[in-house]
Amino acid sequence: MILCVERDPYVRELETFFLTEAGFSVTFAEDGVKALELAQQLHPDVIITEILVPRLDGLALCRRLKSDPATSDIAVLVFSLLSAESRAEDAGADAFLHKPLSPQVLKERVRNVLLARSPKQAGKSSAVRELRS
Amino acid sequence: MSAAPDIIAAANSTTRISTGNREADLVLGGGFLPSSINIVMGEPGTGKTLFAEQLLFANADGDRPVLYLTTLSEPLSKVITYLQRFHFYDESKLGTAVLYEDVGAAMAEEGAGALVSHIRSAIETLGPKLIVVDSFKVIHDLSSSPREIRELISTLGGLLSAYETTTILVGEYRSEDIARYPEFAVADGIVEFARQKRTTTDERFLRVSKLRGSSYLEGLHAIHITADGVQVYPRLVSPAIPKGYRISDERVGTGISGLDEMLDGGLRRGTTSLVIGPTGSGKTTMGLQFALAAAAVNEPTLYVNFQENPTQLGNILNALDPAGRGEGRPYLHFLYSSAVELQIDRTIVEMFSIFEAQGIRRVVVDAVGDLAMAASDQQRIHDYLYALVQRFAVREITALLMLEDTASGPLGNAAPLEAFGRLSYICDNLILLQVNRGKRLRRSISIYKTRASHHDDKVHPFRITETGVHVE
Repeated sequence: MILCVERDPYVRELETFFLTEAGFSVTFAEDGVKALELAQQLHPDVIITEILVPRLDGLALCRRLKSDPATSDIAVLVFSLLSAESRAEDAGADAFLHKPLSPQVLKERVRNVLLARSPKQAGKSSAVRELRS
Repeated sequence: MSAAPDIIAAANSTTRISTGNREADLVLGGGFLPSSINIVMGEPGTGKTLFAEQLLFANADGDRPVLYLTTLSEPLSKVITYLQRFHFYDESKLGTAVLYEDVGAAMAEEGAGALVSHIRSAIETLGPKLIVVDSFKVIHDLSSSPREIRELISTLGGLLSAYETTTILVGEYRSEDIARYPEFAVADGIVEFARQKRTTTDERFLRVSKLRGSSYLEGLHAIHITADGVQVYPRLVSPAIPKGYRISDERVGTGISGLDEMLDGGLRRGTTSLVIGPTGSGKTTMGLQFALAAAAVNEPTLYVNFQENPTQLGNILNALDPAGRGEGRPYLHFLYSSAVELQIDRTIVEMFSIFEAQGIRRVVVDAVGDLAMAASDQQRIHDYLYALVQRFAVREITALLMLEDTASGPLGNAAPLEAFGRLSYICDNLILLQVNRGKRLRRSISIYKTRASHHDDKVHPFRITETGVHVE
């Protein structure tokens, strides 16, 4: 499962279309606090987050996820309007992608972060199973 | 860190979308910004559709197609028929890398919203990297209310901004529409095409009015439509003066007997001299002598001419230099443009292209009055000539600019340039030719000004013979 943290309706629309088309199941949060709650409840394989989201920004969300043992294994892909690759890396993100959305690049980056996870985790992951199938 | 610098840095760091024309890219600071929404506007017949198609074919490579959507302005069949006349058209790309689709019927039936549905579907199924909508302005005719238009623009703007594609919205907009229509608020770039009517010919221009987060060359840039598409001639601007730039002490011979002595040994290299005289005073002969003298010492020289055609000029040249006739004069280059068809921006671009290709060291422009007549206003010609002289100086090109003095000529017409006084200060040296009409014509020459150099301040008579001008 992929959790997308995004408030732009057009980006959400395109993320849904292209990720679903690639075989992933997708759910959404419009702000960082909601995303943190959903991460704890649903434990998605990947979180794709914009930095510019309300209440808790994408980088702060990433730091909170990575510092909590219960969520630290969730791969985080920062997908932003900002050129903030190094800040995303400092926050512990697994990958960074600059907007706008390129379907090929987004799908490839999601695949890469899933495959880079530990084999143990990857074996349990429904997303990796979808990917391998 | 604030968001704006991050976004601008991102825009500047990415590769631009080429227009397919090097000079247009130059005007746009490298091309359109990737993933941007741009409006190409202008009245019918100004070249905007051709510009968009040229851009489309220039970007038709890689694994994602480019998409051209026609609405209700021109039938698709007409667009493609016309397109085939141009060199950039590539049959092999049509239907694969370049996709043409007609949305007109769907928009007529369902309203302007059909355009959004079509673009959404195209993004999901075709993944175009470039989308052209021609004409976008029809949304105003097909929408029932201003609110509907605003909603459509907002949806389309959001969709196109979210996806990695560059959009060109072509429309028959006028300048005043920029403040009226909401699409201009969402546009990242605005390129205007305009036509200026002159007595015998029209001049077409391109102007960039907006390019978010990027520098661009402001002002009107002349365009010309050829079989290669829209050719752009960027407005001449003054060059940056390089560090360590200094005026050369070296003198170059003029090839005119007696004149070098008046000039304390010749003209300083890299200076520009204005030679003013009435018709029949020998300006063309002097210009050709100057060019031949340069060619004789293997200095590549360009003679820019708007009056005598190449055959007429060849005859004068052969009379002055019979020995050079058979040798082809490899160091002498000519650029001829009829004064009637003259477009100053185009001439300047052609001149600089020859400068680059041939390593030109000297130039003669015969005559700047023709450039002034072709310019749409006096300020423009002043700015042009100033920038031109500065460029000559930076490149160390020694130049003669000829100017016909029609006020003191036999017909006694008004001076061609009201800005004559301003022109004289632009140039380093000012040489005056006079013809006194008595029983016999008596010609004389004087040096009115030389910048940073000594000169003879006497008026000298001179003769024109079959071998040229001779100062006594």
